[in-house]
Amino acid sequence: MGAWLEETLTWGNALLFFLWGVILLAIVLGFVTYAIFFERKVIGWMQYRIGPNRVGPWGLLQSVADIAKLLIKEDTIPRKADRVLFILAPALAYVPAFAVLAVIPYTQNLYFADINVGLLYYVALSGISTIAIVLGGWASNNKYALLGGMRSAAQMISYEVPLVISVVGVIMMSGTLNLRSIADQQGDWFWQWNFIPQIIGFVVFVIAAVSELNRTPFDLPEAESELVAGYHVEYSGFRFAFFMLTEYVYVYAIAALTTVLFLGGWHAPFPFLTWVPGIIWFLLKFSFIVFFLFWIRATLPRIRVDQLMGLGWKVLLPVSILNVFLTAVYLELFVK
Amino acid sequence: MKGLFKGLGVTLKSLTDKKVTTSYPDVPITMPDRYRGIQHFEPDKCIVCNQCARICPTECITLVGKANPDPEKKGKVIDTYDINFEICILCDLCTEVCPTEAIVMTGNFELASYSRDELFKDLKWLDENNRNVRQDNNNIGAPNAAKGGAK
Repeated sequence: MGAWLEETLTWGNALLFFLWGVILLAIVLGFVTYAIFFERKVIGWMQYRIGPNRVGPWGLLQSVADIAKLLIKEDTIPRKADRVLFILAPALAYVPAFAVLAVIPYTQNLYFADINVGLLYYVALSGISTIAIVLGGWASNNKYALLGGMRSAAQMISYEVPLVISVVGVIMMSGTLNLRSIADQQGDWFWQWNFIPQIIGFVVFVIAAVSELNRTPFDLPEAESELVAGYHVEYSGFRFAFFMLTEYVYVYAIAALTTVLFLGGWHAPFPFLTWVPGIIWFLLKFSFIVFFLFWIRATLPRIRVDQLMGLGWKVLLPVSILNVFLTAVYLELFVK
Repeated sequence: MKGLFKGLGVTLKSLTDKKVTTSYPDVPITMPDRYRGIQHFEPDKCIVCNQCARICPTECITLVGKANPDPEKKGKVIDTYDINFEICILCDLCTEVCPTEAIVMTGNFELASYSRDELFKDLKWLDENNRNVRQDNNNIGAPNAAKGGAK
C-alpha cells in the first residue's frame, strides 16, 4: 500500500485506493455491528442477564436487525430545524471518524497511509467531529440537543488537551510522529512497550480517550437519563445511525491507537512468541481495549459536569504536563 | 481510587456468575403452591350454595343452579357458572368460603387477550383450567380435618 501511494496517481491507482477504502469500510461496519452486539452481551453478563439471544443463532443477528430497523424508519426533520446543517451534521461527524483510520498501522506491512505526522493527523481530524456534534445539537432547534451539543463541545475541547499532551511523552521517546515507527520501536518484551515507561501518560491517555469517545462515565453529551439523548434527540433513521456509527468507529480508532502507541502494536509480549503472526497480537490487544471500554461502561456511573471539568483541567492536564517534564528529564539524564 | 478497581472487580466477577434471567415465555414459570391464580371449578362438587357469589367483593361471579336431574336426590346442581376476569381480583375469598372446594385456586396467571370478551370465562373453561391446581386449599388458620378439627 505504501509503495502505491508513492507512485503518480493514475486511474488504475485511484480505483485501487477506492477498493481498499471500500474493504476497510466493510471491515469497520462489520466491527461496529459486532461491537454493539458484544457490548450488549458483556453488559448483560455483568448485570446477571444473558443479553440479546433471540435473533439468529445466539442472537448474532440482533445488531443486523436493529440496523435494518433504523434504515427503514421514517427520516424526520423538525420543521424549525436548520435544514442544511441538520443534514450536514451526521456526515460531518462520520467522515473524520473514518478518515483517521487511514493512518493506523496493523502490522509492519499492513497499513494504509504511512504519514510522518500520523499522530497529528489523527488528533486534528478527530477534533472535527466535535463541530459536527455541536452543529447537530444546534441545528435540531431543541433545548436538550443544544445542551448536549454544548456539553460535548466543552468536554471534547477540555479533554483533547490532556489527550494530546499525554502522548507527547511517547513522541519524545520515539522521536517521531509516524505511528508505524512508534509501534515498531517498542521492544520485544512487554515491559519495553510504552505503557510501562510512560505509565502516567498511559493512564491519562486512557481516561481522556474514554472522555473523547463520549462513553460512560463521561457520556454527558448523551446522558440518556437527563438529556433524553443529548445532541441526537431529534435525529431518526439513517442520520441517527450515522451518529451511532461515528461513535463506534471512534471506539475502533481509539482502541487501535492505544494499541499502537502504548501496547506495542503488533509485537508479541515475549520474544519466543514471535512465531504468532503480528496481526493476531494486534487484534488481541485491540479486542482487550474494546472489552475494557465496555467493562467500565458496565461498572462506573456518569460523573457530574463540574466534576468532569475539574478532572480534566485540574488533574489530567497538570499530570500530563508533569509527564512531559519527567520524560524530558529522563531522556536528558539517562539516554543522551 | 480503590473503589474504582473494586467496582471493576465486581463486574468482572459477575461476568461469569450464574444469570438470574429465565426463559419465561418458552419455559412456563411454576408458581408456589399458595399462589392465587385463575380459579379451577369442578361442577360435580358444587352444591349451588351461592356463598362464592355473595362474598365476592367485585361481584364477578354469576351462577345459576337447577334441580337435580335425578328425582330421587335432593338439592340442586350447577347449570351455569361464569367469572368475569375483567373485574376479578383473585382475592381468594370464593375459594375460601366454598364448603366443598368446588372452586379452587391454581397457579396459572396468563389472562392476556386481544378482546375483553375473552375475559368472560364460563363453566366449561373453568372446569378445563385444571393444571397447577393448588394442593392445600384451606391452610390459613383452618383447623386440620385430620387432627379432628371442625371441617
